[in-house]
Amino acid sequence: MELEKAILGRRSVRKFTAKPIEKKVLNELLTAGIWSPTAGNIQPWAFICVTDPEMVHKIRVVSPGMFWSTSAVICVCSDQEKASKAAAKEGKTLSLFDCAMAAQNIMLRAYDLGLGTCVIRSFNQAAARELLGAPEHIQPELLIIVGYSDQAPKAPRRNMEVIFWEAYGQRGEAE
Amino acid sequence: MISDDLYRELIDLMGYMLTSARGLLDEPQAYGPFRLVEGISRLCELLEKEDVADSTFLSRLRARIDESKFSVISDPDTFTQMLDEVVLDYAKKLKER
Repeated sequence: MELEKAILGRRSVRKFTAKPIEKKVLNELLTAGIWSPTAGNIQPWAFICVTDPEMVHKIRVVSPGMFWSTSAVICVCSDQEKASKAAAKEGKTLSLFDCAMAAQNIMLRAYDLGLGTCVIRSFNQAAARELLGAPEHIQPELLIIVGYSDQAPKAPRRNMEVIFWEAYGQRGEAE
Repeated sequence: MISDDLYRELIDLMGYMLTSARGLLDEPQAYGPFRLVEGISRLCELLEKEDVADSTFLSRLRARIDESKFSVISDPDTFTQMLDEVVLDYAKKLKER
């Protein structure tokens, strides 16, 4: 698939069919995540892929932003130990940027493989960490729900007025 | 005595409400009404399964909520109209009791 098609075609899909996802397909998504940009090559992250239906359900119980159940949930976590060792002051912020970029890689690769995704921040991080058995320094930052789409959301309008050329406030047209 | 299944589902609903309450301290204001109506929708669904006398009212309430709940940010007027309607329906039901 062309990259442009993936970028423009990806939507936030929240409702999925019951069709399970093969483990090798999920592994493709996780691999895409670890190949995303990372400040100073710190790689301050951990990815927990949950496919057990009972655990997916429990994650949903503590995630108000997850409206329906799904075949798989990828919990993108920051590793605060790695982040603070590498950059004491900025480590936390940089790890959040890195997790966000990894999440985008995962979602684009998922779209490429015919899957729908939605990234969720409305979940209780402490409860998710407890359920997933993660230590204190592993902080769940984002949930990516993954499945075969059962809906085709329309693209919301994009605001082109946030684009400037050479200086803030200066508009121009692409050649 | 309630069934084990209902008990478990009520405990799950409690989890939704608890984590919503914590999340809403930091989340956009509009998420508050959304989380509340979503909770009511889930409660209706649980009660409908229990073969209660008001199941028609409950399923109508849930359907009306589910139809418009996602408009809370994209179309607040539609969301408000839905809430006004279901509150009035609820009041009529309460009056009959």
